[in-house]
Amino acid sequence: MRPQTPRGFRDVLLDEAAEREAVASTLVGVFDAWGYAPVETPVVESYEVISAAGPAGGEAAPFRLLDSDGELLALRPDMTLPIARVAATRLADDPGPLRVRYLAPVFREHASFRGQARQFTQAGVELIGASGPAADAEVVALAAEALRAFRLTGFTIAIGSVEVLRAFVEAARMPERWGVAVLQAAHARNLPEVQRLVREPGVPAEVAAGLVGALRTRGGLGAIESCREALGACGRSEAVAGVRETFAILDALGYAEEVVVDFGTVRSFGYYTGMVLQVYAPGMGLPVGGGGRYDRLLGTFERPLPAAGFAIGLERLAIALSESGAMPRVRRLDALVGGADAAACFKAAAALRAAGWRVRLACGAIGLDLVRVAERVEAFEAIEAADGVLFRLDRAGGRADVLADPPGSPPSERFSGRRRP
Amino acid sequence: MVRTSGSTEMLRVAIPKGALFDESVDALARAGYDVGGLRDPGRSLVIRGGEVEYIIAKPTDVPVYVAYGAVDAAIAGRDVLEEAALEIVEMVDLRFGACRFVVAEPVSATRSAEELYRHLGQIRVATKYPRITERHFATRGMQVEIIKLAGNIEIAPLIGIADWIVDITATGTTLRENDLRVVEEVMQSTARFVANPAALATKPDRVTDMAERLSRAVAAREGA
Repeated sequence: MRPQTPRGFRDVLLDEAAEREAVASTLVGVFDAWGYAPVETPVVESYEVISAAGPAGGEAAPFRLLDSDGELLALRPDMTLPIARVAATRLADDPGPLRVRYLAPVFREHASFRGQARQFTQAGVELIGASGPAADAEVVALAAEALRAFRLTGFTIAIGSVEVLRAFVEAARMPERWGVAVLQAAHARNLPEVQRLVREPGVPAEVAAGLVGALRTRGGLGAIESCREALGACGRSEAVAGVRETFAILDALGYAEEVVVDFGTVRSFGYYTGMVLQVYAPGMGLPVGGGGRYDRLLGTFERPLPAAGFAIGLERLAIALSESGAMPRVRRLDALVGGADAAACFKAAAALRAAGWRVRLACGAIGLDLVRVAERVEAFEAIEAADGVLFRLDRAGGRADVLADPPGSPPSERFSGRRRP
Repeated sequence: MVRTSGSTEMLRVAIPKGALFDESVDALARAGYDVGGLRDPGRSLVIRGGEVEYIIAKPTDVPVYVAYGAVDAAIAGRDVLEEAALEIVEMVDLRFGACRFVVAEPVSATRSAEELYRHLGQIRVATKYPRITERHFATRGMQVEIIKLAGNIEIAPLIGIADWIVDITATGTTLRENDLRVVEEVMQSTARFVANPAALATKPDRVTDMAERLSRAVAAREGA
């Protein structure tokens, strides 16, 4: 047998794993600085919980399992559902608002040959029990700060609102079937279909113009203003008030460069009720993250509370960072420690670690052998423990000099990014 | 998997080869784009025209290129988009390449498929478009067994591999020549200008500009 991972699952090793860890810890660091507390939930949920959000669409079907009791389970397809469950049950007595963060693998079933991973890692936050423009702005600003932490430039956060399209549909006073068709077409981002639907008899001209205009408009305060006028013509200008105020807060805080209002932004999950956001990085054809407001989800778990959040896909962010040269530097080995005597090696390594060095043991290796291994693993120094002292080896394996006792600061701090000097 | 050219200045647009190719090039020309290289591409599949880079693609691959961001925008048939069911923004109905999806059966069938269905509870349907077919019959509440074929769908009932077919037809000539008649219509299709959602968010001006120029060109032609 030649073992391999199932389709859509993969191993993450060594360099890649170290870089991912660095990306994850940067994200977690930002979320933590904003006072979000960590939560962990089981990988497996009862299928009932996962299906609470309604039909999620064939592309992102959950991975299902049957346990030995015959109960239908599912691997979590995102973290929003499990956290909503926790907030509605174990944390139901928390007066809130609840600010939680997570870094967790999620699973989605995908058809073959689409090149899509069935397991990926999400880093995200949920803000439960708060609503209004300040809460929406907090979620968007936090997403922007998470990307700014990598000094990644040129990313875009598109924000939209489910309410705007709903207001136009309601103002049309058409049969429900028509409204569902319009929202479905908008959801599938099929503008020609929306244009066809608004030409149907009975659709007021101001609704037709407003709907098509809203789906085409993107930009800043100007885009919001033109949408407000179009809604005003239908007597529903209040529907854009939330986005308007949210954007005003973000604009005042200096996020207008990164945030763009796009009323065509509709997330593929059915549970969003208000603001939605998608995060795009330069050079990436797929969003690196997204989220929004889901005020009705906790109600299905019998604890009606407003909530909003977003998640960043770690794998996609890693690709975007590496494409733009913004991947955080992973710390190299400061030294490989060898020597004929194992006990002396351990002691030498301990002394170096105490001085902040990142060291790896190579007991038994000395001279040129030790240097060769050190070069292969890209350690700054090859250090040999002998006669009670630490010798720094030169490239030929000779003893270049003796390290000070206690050792100085680690070379990775002195020569960041450079090869063995 | 999802990396693009990275260039924010250059717009990459996929053009389907085959039936929609000539009219796609004409539409771009009417919208004022430099399509000289596309008129006579020879064997090249990547063609520069001013600030646009055109990629000539197999029609069914076009939605995949767009969804994964390999191109920023494209021209594709509604039929192909429906079958691919990927996350793509449809921006303009270009009106050319009109065809319809139909369910068809042999004119000379001794027993109608409806009758077979009453007795056997299932109909076999041959098609190149399993997803569209599946959705259509699910909406109709009919149980069908779908057989995916790569081409020459119209002979499927003649050689007994299926009772019905679901295929596209522009004029109905091929159906008539193969002794088939239309049972019902599944959907209509025309060519669309589509965009990658991320391209629309990160280089909105270039993509929207192309959509608007194409849209004006379509309107001008229909007005004429």
